[in-house]
Amino acid sequence: MTELPPRSRGAIGLLEENCTVCMLCARECPDWCLYIDSHKETVEGPGRPKVRNVLDRFAIDWSLCMYCGICVEVCPFDALFWTPEHDYPADEPKALVHEREQLREWMWTVPPPPPLERTPERER
Amino acid sequence: MNLDVLSGRVSTAHGQATVDVPREEWVGAVTAARDQLGLTYFDVLTAVDEQADGFDVVLRLWSVEQREGLLLRTRCPRKDPRVPSLTGVFAGAGWHERETAELFGIGFDGHPDLAPLLLPDGFEGHPLRKDFVLASRVVKAWPGAKEPGESDADLVDAPVRRKNLPLGVPQPGSWP
Repeated sequence: MTELPPRSRGAIGLLEENCTVCMLCARECPDWCLYIDSHKETVEGPGRPKVRNVLDRFAIDWSLCMYCGICVEVCPFDALFWTPEHDYPADEPKALVHEREQLREWMWTVPPPPPLERTPERER
Repeated sequence: MNLDVLSGRVSTAHGQATVDVPREEWVGAVTAARDQLGLTYFDVLTAVDEQADGFDVVLRLWSVEQREGLLLRTRCPRKDPRVPSLTGVFAGAGWHERETAELFGIGFDGHPDLAPLLLPDGFEGHPLRKDFVLASRVVKAWPGAKEPGESDADLVDAPVRRKNLPLGVPQPGSWP
């Protein structure tokens, strides 16, 4: 089999460190297949204490996903990435719900971004 | 391609010509397209729910010789969703009309047998009509209803302050 091009839509990886739990992906998803739970934590530090969102659950149900990629496009902080990896069959539909640990595993298979296009500006 | 023989309103969008014909002239226009314009290949027939304006029945024909396609379109009112059948012009239109009848609730006068084709036995409603509510959107909670920092448990105890509503889904109480 020929190798898949890097842009292939096999699965979506989650880079949890970049996720701010803004909920945009879950709200934009036309298939309602993204599940996110989170809670707020107060971080004491220099200056005033800050409240931040902490991710508790991030799951994608691949039995519902139609691979449109809107979640990847809409993420303002680059926490979601396409990977060409597509080989994840399951015995039952529930097993097609990938939780954050599995989504992180996909992250390591994400190909490097394509090189920037050559433009006159970059030639200089 | 000389579209004058079809005596319909011609418009072009995205490089594709579309001819709108009144439904009384539907069969005649399609016959003329086949016989006089060489559009002998029946590609697809479907419909578009234009809501208050009725339904558009859309047909795409293709000329194998000229390698050129044409869209033909006719409109029927919502209160009288019927269009003459094209089965006398293209026998293959039969299944397309059955599918369109089932999914949009449009009748095709002169069709030999508009039996349901795709949906399970006993299915009620016409799922490609825009006022059809998907059962899967009723039985399942919207995952996007949560605010950042919330989980499902918070929603159970939360006072009624839901303001985030999913786009494109009719709200309870507004269903026909």
